[in-house]
Amino acid sequence: MQSSNFVARAFLPMLFIGSSMAGVLPKIDLPKDSPVAVISSDPGDSSETARGGAMLLDLHTALTLRNATQRRIRGITMLVTAQEVTPGGKGSVTVTSLDVGPGETFPVRIDLRLLRPLQAAAGAPVQIGLDGVLFDDLSFYGPDKLSSRRSLTLCEYEARRDRKYFKSLLAQGGEERLRQEILASMTHSADRPTLDVQMVRGGRATNFDPEKEVKFAFLQQPSSPIEPMDGMARIAGNEARAPRLEVRNRSDRAIRYLEMGWILHDHSGHEFLAGSVPAELSLAPGQRTKILDNTTLKFPQKGGVQLAIESMTGFVSSVEYADGSLWIPSRADLTNSQLQRVMAPSDEEQRLVQLYRKKGIKALVAELGKF
Amino acid sequence: MKHPNEVQLALFAGGDLGFWDRWRVGRHVAQCSTCEGEVQTLRSATAQVRELTAEIPKDLNWERLSDEMTGNIRVGLAAGEAIAGFDRPLVRPLRLGWNAAMVVACATAVFAIAFWTSVPQLQKDHLLSALRRIRTERIGTIPQRPAAGLDDVVIEASSTGLDVKENGRTLSLMHPRSDGVTVSISMKGSAGVRYVDADTGQVTTNKVYYAEQ
Repeated sequence: MQSSNFVARAFLPMLFIGSSMAGVLPKIDLPKDSPVAVISSDPGDSSETARGGAMLLDLHTALTLRNATQRRIRGITMLVTAQEVTPGGKGSVTVTSLDVGPGETFPVRIDLRLLRPLQAAAGAPVQIGLDGVLFDDLSFYGPDKLSSRRSLTLCEYEARRDRKYFKSLLAQGGEERLRQEILASMTHSADRPTLDVQMVRGGRATNFDPEKEVKFAFLQQPSSPIEPMDGMARIAGNEARAPRLEVRNRSDRAIRYLEMGWILHDHSGHEFLAGSVPAELSLAPGQRTKILDNTTLKFPQKGGVQLAIESMTGFVSSVEYADGSLWIPSRADLTNSQLQRVMAPSDEEQRLVQLYRKKGIKALVAELGKF
Repeated sequence: MKHPNEVQLALFAGGDLGFWDRWRVGRHVAQCSTCEGEVQTLRSATAQVRELTAEIPKDLNWERLSDEMTGNIRVGLAAGEAIAGFDRPLVRPLRLGWNAAMVVACATAVFAIAFWTSVPQLQKDHLLSALRRIRTERIGTIPQRPAAGLDDVVIEASSTGLDVKENGRTLSLMHPRSDGVTVSISMKGSAGVRYVDADTGQVTTNKVYYAEQ
């Protein structure tokens, strides 16, 4: 019995490698009335190789999609599932800040890696589907399993805010003023600290440092419809977990979703954005509620120095009203020095900065003129 | 003059009084001829009793007496064990209360399973969301919890890629090297990496999630 197992383990990988890649290519499954159509799917240099007692699938797929509607597409989210490999997990690839007209095509690149057992079932290990498409009139199509409608609409709100801001700079101070702002954005991006993060469900700490409860400080955001009242989280060395926040709706409209940004400060004074604490809720004007979570964030050691979290700051990063409209921080809110240090630029700002880098100020001005 | 009582005189004669009482009674006896006579009588009686008890009966068989005592002790122990068996019932009688509770519990379980398997998924979701709403209205807003067993799922986000790991199996979303890679974490159960594609200039965000989303 043992010898037959050994033979199977030794030769199965060869059989897999020798077989056609067709068996490991993703299955692309779009609805019949999908607003996008697959024009081509290029597997590129996808491969499957044996690694120890497992198979490693490297998938590099470049999809070319066509806008099959009469509206302009602003964003799209593709759902990537590998239920056989990780029943508890799934992935998505979202492309934002698009401006794809009717009949036009655009690429979506999906690069993924699967580590799966040798005894894998036959058939496509990866399924690619459509989760949602956002159009220029903010209408949405798709099953929205990943809350793509909200995230794509938020990106579009931010894109409109930032384009308006850059256009106002252009109108006030010409190309030079716009260039200054773009250079400042590039500087902020270069200075912004980034950390690797590990997230685990459950409220258990895994290190040996003593745990303490630390209270949140909150940034002043006069334009925000949400007023943070109180909050704390448990901190142990390089781990932060179980944030608890109390907020009040100070607007005159009901709120159904909010997201709080979470800034951590270490003992040497460095700041970084740990993540966001979202909450689906039903909050009438003037009403208070508590937001609880038991997720643990761990920030692995980087460069030989272990992070020691000392304090925290919270801020409101987005709000969705009951009628589906959204609130996002204004450009004035983002001039707060603490937010500037830790917050990444919006997708659209990042795209415009990249355009400036590659093609210069004239191309950037021309791009702003399209909207 | 108050005379000591008979008990005190008897104890004095036998030398069994305490220090203070012995001194007090002795002082009285030395001055009182009546009490002195009484003490002398008691002492002589004690001496006679000692002489009588010092003589052992001639036909006393110590070995036989010892055997009889040992036998009596064993009989007593055996009788005690036999009586103890009658005091404690061997089988505890079944109580009706527990039987009824078990029947109700089994019936409830059967009903719950039959109900859950026969109700359409849409109705189940509706029921769950209603229950969740009741709970959150009581104690605050709680982001959706993962299904049981998802505690084993680990999400990792770094500037090189995103991983969702479970039982040694991994799904990773990779991205090409790019400036301005942004890592984001949502406590709802997702991690993302945003980058600008150098070839197309497109802003792409890869994300991995727990299963509940």
